[in-house]
Amino acid sequence: MIKLQNVEKVYRTSSIETLALNNINIDVKKGEFVSIMGPSGCGKSTLLNIIGLLDAPSKGTIEIDGLKVEKYHDKELAHLRNQKLGFIFQSFHLINDLSVVDNVEIPLLYRESNAKQRRELAEEALVKVGLSNRMKHFPKQLSGGQKQRVAIARAIVGKPEIILADEPTGNLDSAMGNEIISILQNLNENGATIVMVTHDDAMAKRTHRLIRLFDGTQVL
Amino acid sequence: MIRHLFKLIWNKKKTHSLLIIEIWASFLVLFGLATLITFNVKNYLEPLGFAYENVWAINLSNNQDTLAVAEKVQTIFQSVKGFPEVESLSRMSDAYPFSQSNNSRTVKYKNSDVQMGVVFADENLSKTINIPLIAGKWYRNKDSVGKYIPVVINKMAEGALFDNQPAVGKVLKDYDGKAVWVVAGVVDYYKDKGEFMLNKPMMFELLKADQIYNKTLVIRVKPGTDAVFEAKLVKAITGIAKGWSTEIVYLTDARQKQHNITLIPVIIFLIICSFLLINVALGLFGILNLSIARRRGEIGLRRAMGATEGSVTAQFLGEIWVLATFSLILGLLFAVQFPLMNVFDIAGGVYITAILIAIVIIFLIVTLCAWYPSRQASRIHPAIALHED
Amino acid sequence: MLANYIKIAWKVLLRHPFYTFITLFGISLTLTVLMLITSFLDHLIGAHYPETKRDRTLYIERIVMQDSSRQSMMSNSMSFKFLTDYAKTVKSAERVTIFSFFNGSNAYVGSQKIKLNITFSDADFWRVSDFEFIEGKPYNEQNIANSDYVAVITDDFKKHYFSNSDEPVVGKNVEIESINYKVIGVVKGSPITRPYTHADVYFPYTAPKSNYQNSGMVGNFIAMILAKDPSDLKAVRSEFQSNIRKIPLPGNQDGFKYGVLEVRSDPYLENFVTTIMNGGPGLKNIFYGVIVFIVLMLMGLPAINLVNLNVGRILERASEIGVRKAFGAPVKTLMWQFIVENIFITFIGGIIALILTFTIIQIINASGWIAYADLTINLTVFLISVFVCLIFGLLSGVLPALRMSKLSIIEALKA
Repeated sequence: MIKLQNVEKVYRTSSIETLALNNINIDVKKGEFVSIMGPSGCGKSTLLNIIGLLDAPSKGTIEIDGLKVEKYHDKELAHLRNQKLGFIFQSFHLINDLSVVDNVEIPLLYRESNAKQRRELAEEALVKVGLSNRMKHFPKQLSGGQKQRVAIARAIVGKPEIILADEPTGNLDSAMGNEIISILQNLNENGATIVMVTHDDAMAKRTHRLIRLFDGTQVL
Repeated sequence: MIRHLFKLIWNKKKTHSLLIIEIWASFLVLFGLATLITFNVKNYLEPLGFAYENVWAINLSNNQDTLAVAEKVQTIFQSVKGFPEVESLSRMSDAYPFSQSNNSRTVKYKNSDVQMGVVFADENLSKTINIPLIAGKWYRNKDSVGKYIPVVINKMAEGALFDNQPAVGKVLKDYDGKAVWVVAGVVDYYKDKGEFMLNKPMMFELLKADQIYNKTLVIRVKPGTDAVFEAKLVKAITGIAKGWSTEIVYLTDARQKQHNITLIPVIIFLIICSFLLINVALGLFGILNLSIARRRGEIGLRRAMGATEGSVTAQFLGEIWVLATFSLILGLLFAVQFPLMNVFDIAGGVYITAILIAIVIIFLIVTLCAWYPSRQASRIHPAIALHED
Repeated sequence: MLANYIKIAWKVLLRHPFYTFITLFGISLTLTVLMLITSFLDHLIGAHYPETKRDRTLYIERIVMQDSSRQSMMSNSMSFKFLTDYAKTVKSAERVTIFSFFNGSNAYVGSQKIKLNITFSDADFWRVSDFEFIEGKPYNEQNIANSDYVAVITDDFKKHYFSNSDEPVVGKNVEIESINYKVIGVVKGSPITRPYTHADVYFPYTAPKSNYQNSGMVGNFIAMILAKDPSDLKAVRSEFQSNIRKIPLPGNQDGFKYGVLEVRSDPYLENFVTTIMNGGPGLKNIFYGVIVFIVLMLMGLPAINLVNLNVGRILERASEIGVRKAFGAPVKTLMWQFIVENIFITFIGGIIALILTFTIIQIINASGWIAYADLTINLTVFLISVFVCLIFGLLSGVLPALRMSKLSIIEALKA
């Protein structure tokens, strides 16, 4: 499903070169639930951004669902993200000016669909995360756990095959964190491929496989 | 501190470029407005040089009547003079005070030649509209028999032609170099198009009786004379010259008209400029507010490192001043061209004054706009600001 | 999609009333000034009472004579005879009227002086223009042939001259420059901003002091040629110009020897512009200067202002941009979102401006600042205003949109 070969990422400023990722080879199979761990600054977010096509590697190839993406333009990348990927962020990134259901609809805005279809799909996604009674609320009226559930609903509304989660429990207490992981596990059991960045061992243990990074190098 | 500020601004020049353009453009607009106003105020402060209260101008037009025009004009003159309401009258060209019409010619004296406004008038003009002489005498009608035509010039013309040497008695040449006129007297000012007119070289030439094209009568009436007399006057004139047109203009009205011609564009310009400046000021205010909201962390840090409230305010005010100075330097590069190239023939002093006024106003505006946000910034509590970041 | 954009735009407006106020204040003030200018230009050059047929009228205002070397020039209005010979004879025209430019005069009522403008015209003047007669009728060819002392006056003059202005005044006398004229009709006046038809009192050209007898080419008359249809203008113009070409060259006019002779016959707008252009380099520079100034300052400065503010607020919306991009919004779509948002805000400002403009126009019309002022917001003015709004919205929206959509996703999500 996701295949990274010899991926390297170098950040250049005028005077310094920083090697953020060094020779990464990862192969995530369809239906896997993988977690990426490592100390702060080891490059795990960079790796997730590269998998999520938000950032381009300096070297190496990425394959998503059999498609080699290195020569893709912004428009094609955007299309691929829209069709195949769903994102969950540590700090939720909900749009405060939109209601819960409007927030969930966002990925659908960038593909062929009408308002009615969008509403139906968004409602369906919200039911899946157990928030069907909060649809008209605004992000400010929700707790942290509820916000992250809205974000999950947004990530799955387009029925992507891959879900990428960047420390989804980082801003939550452990009870709420557990709840979020349960939802993700549930999604995984229903067929979604999930890659999650975390620094919490307890969370990582609940996934199928662990990738460990240290200073930009894959150690496990 | 100044160097520190310059560094801050320079490192963010890209984000500040639009702000600089905005201040630069405002400066140019202000410079234009200030030039216009300074120019007019400067003119206004110079004396008019004559009296216009209770003075009327009678425009005569003979239409299809071409018989004995000179005699009829003479008869009308005597008849108008006979009215007890008329204190004094003078015959002159169409270019009577505050009129829309102008005459000019080139006059030479030795090596200098000067383009000057020309007014044809008889011996009574200085008395009728009270133009005091500062040298020599006003010419008399009987002087017309002399070799040269007598003229009276203003001080401006005297300065331009004679380098401030006494002018009375000197002979002036026309464009072709022929000696035509002799200076009989000098007046101080004669700004016949109103207070806002630029003081220009002027020349009064004796109007001869047979110059029938010049038949405007300027009369000074007793105070309180009204339209009843005016109607009587028109009746008397049309009684003498059938088929002629008579139009009477009060100089106070004509003066108002001249003022409007000057003032209306200035007022429109002023309104548009103030609207622009309000716009710019509000925009600046908004942007400063935003940028300070974004720099809470930096402010917190500075406060934690020992900056006082006053010094934070001073820093933000200083930043905007540096920014304004940048823009003004760019603006000055443009504005300075005007006095250097002598654009529009306006005295350099006017431009310099305008530049100074514009600079002061720009600094006032940016200071006003930056004051409130800067005060707010200085009140940010360091602990809270740093925690948020 | 559009609804979604507008929803967001509306929310953004509501979130910060302070910035919204600044933005809307700037936009509506700018657009008000532009709309007022449009309305005033329309008042000046559009086809309005009583020159409602401007779209098919040619104006002949002056004869320009130059010597062969083009060193000296003489420019004047024309004699009645000249226009009768060369303009009145244009066969392809529907009608031709010859009349004088208005001239100042005085009338006296008791101790009151009334300043007025007078015009001398032929009978066709009333057919080429569309004056509304409140009382009576215009003078006709018969009045002119009889050299009747008759006059058409405006309602405004009637109010000033007659003590009881409610009564009809047709048949009464007015005394102007010691001559009595019989009032034959009262019209609703034409504003001074339409200088061809403006006057307070209209006389047949055979009335005293019109100077229609002048024999040379120059005099104090001008003409309007009415074509049957706007599409005929070209033909009418070329016929008139071929008439003018029949004048033998070189010639002599009151001692002025000319080798070049030009009499323009232009539609109103062209005539209006040439008047400015022929006003010497000074007037031309001022004209261009004013246009550049208006465009640059009136639209440019407020636009820069808005751009500044919008660019400044990008960070506020970084998270939104990041999320939209992550979930597959292409740059182009995002750009459109921000442009649409900006145009939406501009249109809100436009509505405020329309209301403001309407109010100011009412005040100007009612103030008597220009007698008979009839400024309006008609369809043309409205459409131009909408167009101006769009341009302004684009002008101030594109740069911030570009900046916003170029923002890197990672940066955006970090902020």
